[in-house]
Amino acid sequence: MAAISETKKQVAALGEKYKYGFVTDIEMERAPRGLTEDTVAFISAKKGEPEWMLAWRLEAYKRWREMKEPNWARVHYPKIDYENAYYYAAPKSSSDKPQSLDEIDPKILETYKKLGIPLHEQMALAGVAVDAVFDSVSVATTFKETLNKAGVIFCPISEAIREHPDLVKKYLGTVVPQSDNFFATLNSAVFSDGTFVYVPKGVRCPMELSTYFRINAQDTGQFERTLIIADENSYVSYLEGCTAPMRDENQLHAAVVELVALDGAEIKYSTVQNWYPGDEDGKGGIYNFVTKRGDCRGKGSKISWTQVETGSAITWKYPSCILRGDDSVGEFYSIAIANNYQQADTGTKMIHLGKNTRSRIISKGISAGKAQATYRGLVSVHSKAENARNFTQCDSLLIGGECGAHTVPYIEARNSSAKIEHEATTSKIADDQLFYCVSRGIDPEEAVALIVNGFCKEVLQQLPMEFAVEAQKLVGISLEGSVG
Amino acid sequence: MLEIKDLHVTVGGNEILKGLSLSVNAGEVHAIMGPNGSGKSTLSYVLAGRAGYDITSGTITYMGEDLGALAPEERAAKGVYLAMQYPVEIPGVTTLSFLKAALNAQRRARGDKEVDAITVLRQVREKAKTLNVPEEMLKRALNVGFSGGEKKRLEILQMALFEPALAILDETDSGLDIDALQLVAEGVNALRKPDRAMLVITHYQRLLNYIVPDRVHVLANGKIIAEGGKELAHELEAKGYADIIKDAA
Amino acid sequence: MNIAVPTLETRRSEALDRFRSIGVPHRRIEEWKYTDLKAALSAEDVAHAGALPWSISALPDGVQMVDLASGKKRAEWVEKNLGMIGGEGVMNAAAFAFAQAGVALRVARNTIVGTPLNLRFTSAGHARVLIILEEGAELTLVEHHEAGEAFRNIGMEVSIGPNAQFTHVRVAEAAHNQIQIETISATLSRDARYCGHYTDLGAKISRVEANLTLAGAGADVQISGVSVLSGDTHADVTTNVDHAVGNTTSTQLFKKLIGGHARGVYQGKVSVRQHADKSNSSQTAKAILLSNRAEADLKPELEIFADDVKCDHGAAVGDLDLESLFYLRSRGLPEDEARALLMRAFVEDAVAQITDEVIRADVWKIVENALASVSEGK
Repeated sequence: MAAISETKKQVAALGEKYKYGFVTDIEMERAPRGLTEDTVAFISAKKGEPEWMLAWRLEAYKRWREMKEPNWARVHYPKIDYENAYYYAAPKSSSDKPQSLDEIDPKILETYKKLGIPLHEQMALAGVAVDAVFDSVSVATTFKETLNKAGVIFCPISEAIREHPDLVKKYLGTVVPQSDNFFATLNSAVFSDGTFVYVPKGVRCPMELSTYFRINAQDTGQFERTLIIADENSYVSYLEGCTAPMRDENQLHAAVVELVALDGAEIKYSTVQNWYPGDEDGKGGIYNFVTKRGDCRGKGSKISWTQVETGSAITWKYPSCILRGDDSVGEFYSIAIANNYQQADTGTKMIHLGKNTRSRIISKGISAGKAQATYRGLVSVHSKAENARNFTQCDSLLIGGECGAHTVPYIEARNSSAKIEHEATTSKIADDQLFYCVSRGIDPEEAVALIVNGFCKEVLQQLPMEFAVEAQKLVGISLEGSVG
Repeated sequence: MLEIKDLHVTVGGNEILKGLSLSVNAGEVHAIMGPNGSGKSTLSYVLAGRAGYDITSGTITYMGEDLGALAPEERAAKGVYLAMQYPVEIPGVTTLSFLKAALNAQRRARGDKEVDAITVLRQVREKAKTLNVPEEMLKRALNVGFSGGEKKRLEILQMALFEPALAILDETDSGLDIDALQLVAEGVNALRKPDRAMLVITHYQRLLNYIVPDRVHVLANGKIIAEGGKELAHELEAKGYADIIKDAA
Repeated sequence: MNIAVPTLETRRSEALDRFRSIGVPHRRIEEWKYTDLKAALSAEDVAHAGALPWSISALPDGVQMVDLASGKKRAEWVEKNLGMIGGEGVMNAAAFAFAQAGVALRVARNTIVGTPLNLRFTSAGHARVLIILEEGAELTLVEHHEAGEAFRNIGMEVSIGPNAQFTHVRVAEAAHNQIQIETISATLSRDARYCGHYTDLGAKISRVEANLTLAGAGADVQISGVSVLSGDTHADVTTNVDHAVGNTTSTQLFKKLIGGHARGVYQGKVSVRQHADKSNSSQTAKAILLSNRAEADLKPELEIFADDVKCDHGAAVGDLDLESLFYLRSRGLPEDEARALLMRAFVEDAVAQITDEVIRADVWKIVENALASVSEGK
């Protein structure tokens, strides 16, 4: 990982001069339990938002009150008591955080070690309140300078609402409307914070917006909101999440991500999600209900989603592309691993509206233990979308006789020039493959990791280099204990 | 090195090996010949430790140890190598990364230091050259889209790389034309060593023209029914299995 | 164990309750997403549809038949079995609850019925069909639907005994003014086979739903079908193949040619239950759109709860291959003929699934007539 040594160098060079962090220093504070207009107003005030933003949130809140929680996904969980939950907690102060790695669950530390994460990053990831965290803040500052020079706006969305209201007003809610679905509407009302990116015309973002996030994306809260705008002929690659399990105390997560690509622009959005999946008996774990959608608004624009989903007890997530601009391209590459009692219902929607639009879907689902993994996808070609093309390959792998793998593709075509191809397979790791590996000296668990990584290769290749290596290790770790 | 005594093996409830005995010393090459269904592949799988091949009685002793008690990967680490009749395809896993994973797993199990990718590559390249395995093949997914000859050559390359003490070659000649067969046989002959034993399992005598065995055993109906030197293979070729089996009965 | 089986009357009234509580299905019900029956039909229309007329060809030896018209005394085997298979679907429940007409057939143990039996439906109303194949029996049924008006609803239930084989060829003429619904429910015992072929030229609304349960090891389902749709017709083929036990196989092959303003739907769900290891399933659905007002909706679904399985599906939407079209025209074929040839080639493998030559030729006649009209752009 070249980026890590790079980070270390920059940290050393910066010494003590970090102070201008991006992480706003807010005192520990919680909104009262339950969800009312007051809660919404509290969050908005806390963020120092202008009135229009509050009005927008309140409108969403009103809509949400009239909505029902969806139940069509193949996930089962106890009823969430929305009236008795906390919707806003300021990031913890240092005194509330663990004081050293000794206080962290040894299992998590073991995983860090297997992933080869350097010590100072381990502390940052585990939320340890030591100087190591500051190191990363200072690095962030130098990154920010580079971005500023290129004219790229990259800041918390709360800051963007204050500093760049015209951009936010112009694009927020235009891809995922305020009341798109139950969870997105909830997010619209109570989103805590998130990221805002604007890449100006003709600019190729000078760095992957990933290294930064890996160490600094903590404490964005349970209702994250992300808005990325790539102006004409610009390019940006963004990676959210982390291969390492992140400490998080909120069970319910409902993020919204909106991407806008204008003429000739390209956005590559990669996710590695490894939140706490619950224990071997299915107790605990994060519920992850995410709405992610990209709008290829401009001619010849491109949005590419890559995701490695190994964490969370429940994953409900369909990163989608609206191919509105002529000649636009949408891609979805996904690995979803569900072990123990995890439930993952994930896939994509490719909505072809423009002429000569193309989409490609590669999905690899792996189920082990008592887990259920579902691919759910829609390819829709509207009547004006001349010469639309889609290719979908959707493979499921089963490990053990108590898990489930499900494939639910919807194909809707209304234009005679459309060409859509969908292929799906479901199978288990073949006994002869496993035996071949172990007979050459590889232990069964490593053999499974090897075979599964091979199975996922097409998707792993899409990840930024430095994360691909970690993601490969993560695939193995996620399946530990799945072979008897 | 290898001592099999009165071995009975069942597969899916059916007894396939019915009291097989065999003894192989270091430095020797033994051929096991037999008609289809005689239990040849069962013998190779039971030596490598495939699940579902149950030893109901008898013993397999390898270097003084009970081989039957070991997991397949433990056998590999202790120097047992099976070149398979049908090498398995593993999509997405490049041949080179597989070789590295296997080599290091074996080294780890033996307490040796693991070797880095460059060292593995150097070693593999060297062996690949002598076996006429093109470099490009190493970058392709393991056995995926390989021709029959390529698959068999890769099995021999692995044998050269892992340097096993006991190599079992299961029908390594099947599906090969004469040129491919010669190439494979040369590779095998180059690996004959005083501290290495080989068990060459085949249906056809042809292979034994190229890999000349020290001893030949005829396997029929789960038992060794005839034994002899290399001339036994020629006798078999001339008379056919039916006659030998009749003679033995 | 002595489990009391509800009487026929109880079963019928349960079906009625089911229909009354759910009502006419609509697009908000996932299974009916692409067929909004409620928009075209009220619960009253369903309740008062009346008895559907049917006729059948001469009965071969070894086949018993009972007319299910109300008021007639029924044989014990009919009393015992009617309404026992396929209780889930609401329109199947309606067909059971409201049917005043229908037919029950039983093929005796080890009876191989050499000549196909022809069952013909005309006009409108509900009908119930019960078919029982005893162990080792074989029957080929050709079910022909003439066009009618208003609403037609059939609930067919089939019990296929051990090592028995039911070949079912269903042919529906274009019925622009009729809503046609049929639910086929079959249970397959050990080593039983169901070979189904559904040819469909569309209706105002048409839906064929096949619910096939592989309940014994060695059971095999092979279904195929062709839809050639023109005008403003609609045709929905929905299959649910349930591998309830292991060592069972299923294959599906459906082809749709959709022109005019028509809509072709394929929803195919293959389920493999837990421990149903060594289940193999394969599913293919392809559609060609011949007009920009036509629509294809394909939803091949896999629901797998066992690991030792091999399941795949493929689905595709496209148009006639322009290169092939050019090739044919460059060899002197007029465009219409060239198109017809390519369309014929597209459906060929699905029609070829019909093994009986005479029946296959009959189906080809119907398909080719439809191809002619669809290529004229009607």
